[in-house]
Amino acid sequence: MGKITIDDLAKIKEKTRYQTTLRQGAGRVKINVHMGTCGIAAGARQILTSVMTEIESRKLLDVIVTNSGCAGLCSQEPMMTVEVANEPAPVKYVSLTPDKVKKIVESHILKGIPVKEYALAVGSERTR
Amino acid sequence: MAYRTYLMVCAGTGCVANQSMKIKDRLEAEIKKRGLDSEVAVVTTGCNGFCAVGPLMVVQPDGIFYQLLKETDIPYLVEEHFIKGRPVKELLYTPPKEKTPIPRMSDIPFFADQTLIVLRNRGLIDPERIDEAIARGAYEALAKVLTTMTPEQVIQEIKASGLRGRGGGGFPTGIKWETCKNAPGDKRYVLCNADEGDPGAFMDRSTIESDPHAVIEGMCIGAYAIGSSEGYVYIRNEYPIALERLKIAIKQAREYGLLGKNIFDKGFDFDIKIVRGAGAFVCGESTALMASIEGKPGEPRAKYVHTVERGLWDKPSCLNNVETWANVSQIILRGAKWFSSIGTGDVSSDAWGGSKGTKVFSLSGKVNNTGLIEVPMGITLRKIIFDIGGGIKDGKKFKAVQTGGPSGGFIPESLIDLPVDYEELTKVGSMMGSGGMVVTDENNCMVDMAKYFLAFTQEESCGKCIPCREGTKRMLDILEKITNGEGTEEDLVLLEELSNMVVESSLCALGGSAPNPVLTTLKYFREEYEAHVKEKKCPAHSCRKLITYSIDPAICVDKGHGCDVCRKNCPDGAITGETKQVHAIDVMKCGRCGICYDVCKFDAIFIE
Amino acid sequence: MVTVNIDGTRIEVIEETTILKAAEKAGIWIPTMCHCEYFEPYGVCRLCSVEVVRGKRSRIVTACNYPVRGGLTILTNSERVKWIRKIIMELMLSRWPNVKVVRDMAEKLGIGTPRFVSMERDEADDACILCGMCVNMCSDVVKASILGFSNTGIKREVVLPFGEQSDKCIVCGACATVCPTGHIKMVLEDYRGKKPEFTLGPKTAISVPSLQAVPRVPVIDTNSCIHFKTDGCTICSTVCEPNAINYEMKDEIVELDVGQILVSTGFDTFDASKMSQYGYGTLDNVYSALEFEMLLNSTGPTGGKVVMKNGKEPRSVAILHCIGSRDTNHHAYCSRVCCMYALKFAHLVHDRTKAAIYQLYIDMRAFGKGYEEFYSRLLDEGITMIRGKAAEVVEGTWSDDHEKSLLVRCEDTLISKFREIPVDMVILCNAIEARKDSDAVKRLFTLSKSPDGFFLERHPKLDPTSTTTEGVYIAGCAQGPKDIPDTVAQASSAAARILSYISKGEVEIDPIRAMVQEEFCSGCRICNNLCPYTAIEYLEDKKVSHVNEALCKGCGTCVAACPSSAMTGQGFTDAQILAEINGLMV
Repeated sequence: MGKITIDDLAKIKEKTRYQTTLRQGAGRVKINVHMGTCGIAAGARQILTSVMTEIESRKLLDVIVTNSGCAGLCSQEPMMTVEVANEPAPVKYVSLTPDKVKKIVESHILKGIPVKEYALAVGSERTR
Repeated sequence: MAYRTYLMVCAGTGCVANQSMKIKDRLEAEIKKRGLDSEVAVVTTGCNGFCAVGPLMVVQPDGIFYQLLKETDIPYLVEEHFIKGRPVKELLYTPPKEKTPIPRMSDIPFFADQTLIVLRNRGLIDPERIDEAIARGAYEALAKVLTTMTPEQVIQEIKASGLRGRGGGGFPTGIKWETCKNAPGDKRYVLCNADEGDPGAFMDRSTIESDPHAVIEGMCIGAYAIGSSEGYVYIRNEYPIALERLKIAIKQAREYGLLGKNIFDKGFDFDIKIVRGAGAFVCGESTALMASIEGKPGEPRAKYVHTVERGLWDKPSCLNNVETWANVSQIILRGAKWFSSIGTGDVSSDAWGGSKGTKVFSLSGKVNNTGLIEVPMGITLRKIIFDIGGGIKDGKKFKAVQTGGPSGGFIPESLIDLPVDYEELTKVGSMMGSGGMVVTDENNCMVDMAKYFLAFTQEESCGKCIPCREGTKRMLDILEKITNGEGTEEDLVLLEELSNMVVESSLCALGGSAPNPVLTTLKYFREEYEAHVKEKKCPAHSCRKLITYSIDPAICVDKGHGCDVCRKNCPDGAITGETKQVHAIDVMKCGRCGICYDVCKFDAIFIE
Repeated sequence: MVTVNIDGTRIEVIEETTILKAAEKAGIWIPTMCHCEYFEPYGVCRLCSVEVVRGKRSRIVTACNYPVRGGLTILTNSERVKWIRKIIMELMLSRWPNVKVVRDMAEKLGIGTPRFVSMERDEADDACILCGMCVNMCSDVVKASILGFSNTGIKREVVLPFGEQSDKCIVCGACATVCPTGHIKMVLEDYRGKKPEFTLGPKTAISVPSLQAVPRVPVIDTNSCIHFKTDGCTICSTVCEPNAINYEMKDEIVELDVGQILVSTGFDTFDASKMSQYGYGTLDNVYSALEFEMLLNSTGPTGGKVVMKNGKEPRSVAILHCIGSRDTNHHAYCSRVCCMYALKFAHLVHDRTKAAIYQLYIDMRAFGKGYEEFYSRLLDEGITMIRGKAAEVVEGTWSDDHEKSLLVRCEDTLISKFREIPVDMVILCNAIEARKDSDAVKRLFTLSKSPDGFFLERHPKLDPTSTTTEGVYIAGCAQGPKDIPDTVAQASSAAARILSYISKGEVEIDPIRAMVQEEFCSGCRICNNLCPYTAIEYLEDKKVSHVNEALCKGCGTCVAACPSSAMTGQGFTDAQILAEINGLMV
């Protein structure tokens, strides 16, 4: 890329900021995909990929995706926990499929309405 | 490409020297092997500052901090953390004398108490990718300045912020820029002092290694403010990684047109040349630095006519330290009011009335957490040493902290509640300097420490003027005498007189500050000098010619049962004794190396 | 102008003058060790430290380079200043205890034995004290930049480039002149091709040739002047108060229209190094006559003392006559003046030293008034006269000591013995010969030369001052070797001749002369160069030749040569001759 203008500067910032923001560990929403051995056996990898795809396609900048170990409820894997800033408690979603993930992103993350049918419980452990 | 996890591998010089690049390669290989290369990215960053525990890595966005990594740890780490989701406990940071690790970087006390302005991008960006710096806001300040501010407004903002030179002089930066701008001349130069000669100081090196664009942007803004179109970075050749990253950064900035002609189409031209210095501490002095750029020997000259009026090639030149430049863009973006809200004092009516913003220190010596820290001005030395620094190693007792490098002085425990501030440090006889901080404990002999620092400055003296060339050598000779047990009381009087004279009459600040370690130790630790001179003893048990090692026969027999470990390890063959029998040290043969003291498990050996 | 207060004295100076200069104006002395007025202040010895007070604060600065601003109070001798100077001198004394300039300054400042012992103590009395004056002189004034500093800190030293003699060094000696300890020495390994005649030792590039010179003003030798080599220096014009030095001065060519010319271009001396047997130019203490004259002169390099190269008085001196004269290998003639000045030398040497004097002569030519009487007087002074031209001069040793000296070998014909005479000094009476440019002068003025090389007079007996060219006269040694009374006589005669013509206003000339008929002259100019009396000139505007009637002798050469018969004898034109013939025939 050749000489940039001030507008170009802003564009580069937007484009790359996604990555760096992620690295700061600061975001409005945090999605934690549980990937213990049981989770992975149940297909948590696929769930993770669909979460990432959803976020990228919607260009969401304030969502962090992490993974952690086994949550304990192996029969209900794959599971993910969604924490939204200013919401009282995180929500645990169980028995996930890529379609369910899509719905959760649309409803809970974008509109702030948790999808009750897919949730196990509201308010388990806090990570922060 | 959206990754879910970023592995920020520290690639500052310290960690690189400890093979962090090999660790990075292994990580990449392992991640690829396990099929994670579309989810996990490996990024090399600049120095994170916690050098005592390198090679280190931070896993984002979790913020998990891994330390003391080895290549062999990597496969297990990848398997456990990135596949199974379980951080590896053994590789996390555990404070000394505690059992539970602290996984999160932001919880570790070393990091928790720091305020990052200059080092805001450390560990978060790859310094060799300009886009990442831009993503974190680089060159936004330059855009703001070029579109909405006049040079005078820029200078006013810097003046209001209270920014003072971070190279050691503490001269108000805004006033310096203003004087340079108003000095008569057809050409002006903007210079960056990246020589950093203080032994043990690496603030500037880390800044350039982590975030070179912060420095470049600062220089651009400075050049706009004073009306310059040519800048020089004088960097020491002993910093190859920093030099390389700076070159790459300049190249990338030029490609984007952020350096060169007509930046941002605002009719502002500016470009930077790199000049390397080598092997000369004195070239950190402004007039010697400029002489070196001009191709002359690096020797200082009288500064009765300041370099802002006649500097490089006799033109007005504005020389600032790397750290000073790195602060500029943040002041422009976040405002002078924000900057002056951090720190001590009040600069609204007197530019020297306070110390504003943060300061980067390189903490070293006998503390647990050695490394690079950035703290707000006004923080107490106690907090730095005991909270951030984690206290004295091996549970020993604190003795003194040396601030300001070889030009600074020693501050004893009675004074470490003073806030870190230019004037406060100078009042007690030391100085802020460029930010070196060396902590000593009960086993450091203050006479020896003074000798150590004086030997450095004496070696680095350019030799031009009599007081520094001859005076510091005579001072060093006297200190040698004292540590060899040949000192007299007249020597102490002479030493102090000579020190004061060298301070007063030297041509440049090297000579003018070289006696500081001697003067402060004489002031606060005179009893140690007197012990060396009167009793021919070294209270800290450090000066070899003045100590004796001996074995307590009772402990050796009762507890150690004549284990013979000391005799086996003595390089001078000075210990006699048979196994299961008492051992003794022959004082005549003993070289005072201290090995026996270290190996004796029963503490049977004592030093006098 | 600003006012400053130095030690209580208020003084007005131009702003930014240094404290040192301001103090000088106020009559206050401040010690310096590295300061020189010809280059920018160096400020390294710190001896000139003074206290500058502003309000409640005071600081120590160096007087040599601190620029003065208005309202400054300066203390040049406060307790603080004295204390600093004391320690500086102690530091210097401990390192260079025997250097005179350090000891003198310490004494002047009242400082005794130093309290320090220096590991770098140098006992030499000409040690380098690292003042940097030589380096600054070489780079700033001479602009040759040969000397420099090397190594840092306590190991600092002054060095030549790469530690070797540099052929860029112009051997000006400025460094040696300014060095306060005598550490820098000039070693004359070869005199750089300069003939040492008339110099007897190095001089400065600008000097008055001798105190008896007319006019007695200095002249710059552009071959050794620094300015003409590097464009630097210019110290001489800096110190010249009436600003009389002009580096741009060039030779002027002046054109004058004159009627008569007196050529008295003098003589050269024979280069005695052509006679290698006498050791001139190769052996020490062998002088030519003019060199010895300079040595004897009270305005000369030794102030009139007769000394050898090593400064000692000679124990014996030999004066050799006829070096180059009366010699078929060089000049067959006698140089006329040498015998008498040789006797004069002998007399003066006898007067000023206790040396034994030997005169080696062929004949003693004491021809003039009082000359013979002088010779007789000399014989009574105990001078040894040896009749026999010296054969050679070699190096030898006296038998009673091992000092090298000279040995003169000759045949003493009066006692028919070969002699070897040990002497300390040899003076050669070298011949007087015609000037080297005499051929060029000869052509310029249409003069002739006699076989001995001197200009030819019209008649050796009856007209020794005129030449065959009308209006050109010769006088002095240009005509042949002669001494002062004879030269004066000849010059007066030539001058009188000239004056008589001028006062006459008219010249009587022979009526027989040539004339140009201008309407026939083609301007070919053949006649111009033919005329032996240079009587024909070419008129540019008319494009014809013209005969100068005063010069023309009527020889008729031009008439015969003229291709267009434009040249004719006055009164002897073809028409006139034909008319005469006609008259006779009728």
